[in-house]
Amino acid sequence: MFHRSVSALRLGRLLACLSLLVCYHGIAQDNVAPVPKSLRVTHILGLQGLKENTNGTLTIQAQTLRFQPHDGIAAEIKVSSIQEVALGVQDKEVGGMPMAIGRVATPYEGGRVIALFAHKKYDIVTVKYRDSDGGFHGAIFQLNKGEAQVLKSELQAGGVPVIEGEKPAEKTKQAGQS
Amino acid sequence: MKASKKSSSIVIVPATLLILASWPSQLFAGKHPAVAKWELQVDTVESGDVNIGPDFKVAIYENLLKELARTKRYESVFRDGDRNANGVHNLLILKTTVESYTAGSEEKRAVTSLAGATRLKVLSKLSTQDGQVVLERSVSGNVRFFGGNLRATHNLAHNVAKAIEQSTLPVVPVSASEKATDPADR
Repeated sequence: MFHRSVSALRLGRLLACLSLLVCYHGIAQDNVAPVPKSLRVTHILGLQGLKENTNGTLTIQAQTLRFQPHDGIAAEIKVSSIQEVALGVQDKEVGGMPMAIGRVATPYEGGRVIALFAHKKYDIVTVKYRDSDGGFHGAIFQLNKGEAQVLKSELQAGGVPVIEGEKPAEKTKQAGQS
Repeated sequence: MKASKKSSSIVIVPATLLILASWPSQLFAGKHPAVAKWELQVDTVESGDVNIGPDFKVAIYENLLKELARTKRYESVFRDGDRNANGVHNLLILKTTVESYTAGSEEKRAVTSLAGATRLKVLSKLSTQDGQVVLERSVSGNVRFFGGNLRATHNLAHNVAKAIEQSTLPVVPVSASEKATDPADR
């Protein structure tokens, strides 16, 4: 009898502790602001004062889209100034210039075989925005495949219209032709 | 006596030359005014009926701004919608419309060397604020072998800037304020 009451007491304490822990976790989540997701991206072009093809991280924090290059000063775009964000896909060669040179230098046309495996699809994010003077800007970022969806959901939450681009037809289309 | 004259000339001549060298613009500003330059506004790229991605349109626009500023032919290059361009009397407006676009593939280019070229052709129209067309030309930019697809936009912008640079621009009009203040100079 005594043994059973002790085990019940232990179980009760354990349950109380667990419920406290769950409650505390909930309170802690309510008080702390959500940690902004940072994405590793490549700035293709468009941001003022930054070189083309710069690697860095992209975050959305306090209604600001912030690109922090690995070395150098960060560039910021206010979410309220963004007019539109477009998502697309491009295939690009991995390894950059050294890979391209190595591919060309490979004998017996071996570079062509390497090229088959040296390409990867990337998400391309185009941000259209206006500066304080009303001037139109466009910035293009390259993300790993699938990561653009993370950015899309965060921007949509901020009220930015996001359009998912279709892959353009692979043949020439003349203006004015039907 | 002769020696003192000589020494004074040794001092005066370099001093005069120094003064002339340090304030040439102030001394000759009235007689030889600096050549007036046009200012340029680059409008956003119109795609017309051509199915082209927004990344290409933005890349053409941004590369045009960069390449045209690099020519140093204009006092300043304004972006589309820039309020600073309002009221500028010597403003040229560049409108770009995509005429044709062939989406390429970097992978196809690397594997075959023949297929996969990215081709772009635009109609560049440079006009004054009152609608007088200064230049209207079809310009193309391609990537055939090396580089990403967006490199076509860089090549295109370079060709557009080159075409505009080679064209003859009309004489910069005199603003109303300049007419009122300096009628003798005209």
